[in-house]
Formats: sequence, C-alpha cells, structure tokens
Amino acid sequence: MLRALREIEGGVKLSVNALGRLGRLRRPPIRESFLRQIYFTGVTAATGVVLRASVLGVLIIAITMDVLDADVDLAVKILLLLVFREIGPLAAAVVVILRTGTAISAEVAMMRISGQTRALRHLGINLYDYIVVPRVAGVMLATMVLTFYIQFLAVLGGLLFSPLIIDATFMELSGRFFALFSPVDFVYSTIKSLLFGFTIAACCCYHGLNPPSLTQNAVPQVVTRAVTQSAMLMLGINAVFAYIVFGILFFGLVTAKV
Amino acid sequence: MSDALRYALRQPGSPEIALAVPQGGVSRVHLPDPQSKARFIAAVAKARCEDGEELELLGEPVERLKPAARARLLKRVGVLSPAVTLLTNLNAWENIALAAAYHGSPSRERVAQITQEVLGAFVAEPLALLARLPDQLGTLQRRLVAFVRLLVMEPELVVIDALDEGLSREECASVARLEAQYRARHPSGTLLFVDAREEPS
Repeated sequence: MLRALREIEGGVKLSVNALGRLGRLRRPPIRESFLRQIYFTGVTAATGVVLRASVLGVLIIAITMDVLDADVDLAVKILLLLVFREIGPLAAAVVVILRTGTAISAEVAMMRISGQTRALRHLGINLYDYIVVPRVAGVMLATMVLTFYIQFLAVLGGLLFSPLIIDATFMELSGRFFALFSPVDFVYSTIKSLLFGFTIAACCCYHGLNPPSLTQNAVPQVVTRAVTQSAMLMLGINAVFAYIVFGILFFGLVTAKV
Repeated sequence: MSDALRYALRQPGSPEIALAVPQGGVSRVHLPDPQSKARFIAAVAKARCEDGEELELLGEPVERLKPAARARLLKRVGVLSPAVTLLTNLNAWENIALAAAYHGSPSRERVAQITQEVLGAFVAEPLALLARLPDQLGTLQRRLVAFVRLLVMEPELVVIDALDEGLSREECASVARLEAQYRARHPSGTLLFVDAREEPS
C-alpha cells in the first residue's frame, strides 16, 4: 500500500516535472534524443503494423455485415466508432508499450544501475531534461502519428478490400464513411493518443529511474512493472474517455448526466 | 594560500581522516581503506557530506549550500572515477561533447580542439576512437575519453580516483601523462590523485 502511494506520488512528480521542462527540447542534445525517440517509436514501428491494420478494417466490415447481417450504414458506423475512436489509439498504444515501453524501462534502468545517471549528474545535466523529457515528448508525438497511421490503414483496408467479401461497393462504403465522419472523431483520437503516449513514457521512465535494487536482476522486474502498469493506466484512461464521450461507464452501470 | 579541498571524517568504527589539499598543485592522497575512499569520492562528487563528515570545496563549506549554489560549485569540480562511467548509447565524441552542448559552453569548435590536442598526444587515430561506442573501447581508451570529457568543462579542482587500476605497465606510464595535459591547460588548477591502501591479505 505504502509502495503504491509512493509510486503514485513519484509518478505525478515526474509527470509534472516533465511537462514543465518541455521547453528544454530546444537544447541540442535533448532535441537529438527526442528525434531519436520518434524514430525508434514511430518510424521503426510503422512498417510492422501495415498488414495487421489493413486486416483489422476488413474484418470489422466483413464480420459486421456477414455475421450480424448489418447494412452498409451500420457497418461503416461500427468501423468509425471502433477503429477511429477505440481500436486505433488502443492498437497504437499496445504497439508502443510492447516495443518502446519495454525498451525505455530497460534502458533507463541499465543507465541507473551502471552509474550513467551519476555521470550525468556530475556533468551538471538534469536527469529530467536528458532522460525523461525527450522520451515523454517523443513517445507522445510518435504514438499520435502511429494512431493516425493505423486508423488510416484500417479504414482504407476496410473500404478497399471489403467489397471482395461482402455485397457493397467501394464508392458506397466510402460515401457513407465521409458522410458519418465528424472532426470530433479526429480530436478525440488525437487527445487520447497523446495521453496514452505520455502515460506510457512517464510510467516507464519512472520505473527505470527507480529500480528495486541496483543490480542487473532488477532490470526484468522494472520492465514487468512498467509494462503492467502502463497497460492498466491505458485501460483506465480509455474507460474515463469512454465515460466522457459516450456517457457510459462500466457497461452502463454508471450513466453520465447530460 | 587557501586550500582547494578540506575533508574530515570522524565517526566511531571508521578510521579518522583529516585532509587539506593546497590550491594550485598536484597532490596525492592515500586513504586508509576502499570504503573511506568511496565515501570521500561520493562526498566530493555530490558536494554533500553525510554524518561525521566535513567538506570544504574551493573555500566553500558544502554543509549548508542551497541547490543552486551546490550546482554552481559542482561545475568547478571534476571527478574522474571508475564509478563515473560513459553513456553507453553515445559514441566517444558524443560523450565528450554532451555537457558542453547541454550547457551551451564551451563552443563545439573549442571542444573539438581540446579533444584533438589531448587525444592526439595519446592515440594514433583519434577520429577512429571518437566514432566508437564505449563498449568498443579498451579500459585505457575509456579513461582517456572520460578525462577529455572532464577537461572540456575546465574544472578548477580535479579529483582522480584509481586512475591506473586494471591497466598494464605501459598503459600506466601513458596515463601518467594526463597530469601534464591538465597542468598545461590549467596552470592554476588543482589536481588530486586519490588511492586506497591495500588491505592486508
């Protein structure tokens, strides 16, 4: 219990410090670290999700129309609600946790254990500036871009390939999609993906900087804790967003007053 | 002349230590055991003392220093120790230039000049060495890079811990020239070599 409270306090302190120091990204070594983070989180992850994201869109439209016997309107609505609002940001966040979250927590823990953070302090370099800020900012931006990329591929895949499986044309599906699409969907997924990226990076940096012991054995423990807590926080944030946007939480047990 | 460093350790169960290092020279200190040495290095590197310790760096007692004053004081002090490692995801040049790039001084050109001059005196191909990651460097090369990184920040007081540990006889002779490199750049600076006496086996 005490450890959990300490972790919450530490996590909040780290998050506030990271946000307050975003201006330090102007300094050359921090900017370089930020760009490197975007490359590793966004660019290298992008190639791996192309096929999976396209298949996702096709499956959603095909299953909805074929299994649920829905019309084009309902299938596209589900594609928009599921892919754009929910699965897009969630899929990007899962990719980021598995690829970047594990890497960040292990790398920062190794830096702490091997005395590299001590070396940074001796050089007068603030640990938040050099370790936390570029990773948090880089992961936030990369998660947002990765979300858009997955959404784009899933929608495009759904609209392009579904006519091969179901009885609907590409023009019919895309016409309905653009008629139903609203800017709110875009803003909603942007905010959510930025928040997911921030939470994942802050959580992984916190655990990396605070390993249970200063031995090599602490690294797997750090990674496990960072990944588990990032996933739990992500689901929590998703529930809060669902409550705010759809007015329903916990499968309808709590209803928001509009 | 005032002292560059004063240190005292008075604690039951630990050997009593009292050091005074005069400003502007080269001094050698042998501490009674590795634990005392580790405590001393940690106190100097953090400009902070624990129970039973007293420390004065460049004329300033560190006990009641405010964080900003401590940070300012630490910029004037450099520590070269096996405990202060290189950053493994940056190559040798990036390690050397990191602090200068972060603080905005000295300029990149000045850092390159110091690096070229110092490494040129020790290594046949400095450019090849600078492109390597710390894991690809030998013990002596890693120490050289750490020394250049420290020299670039132009500290007034340099504390060097166990410089020749783990080096061959030839490498030790090479390392002895680091002193001359520091003196040539900072004639008024203070250099302190710290060692711990061998424990009887």
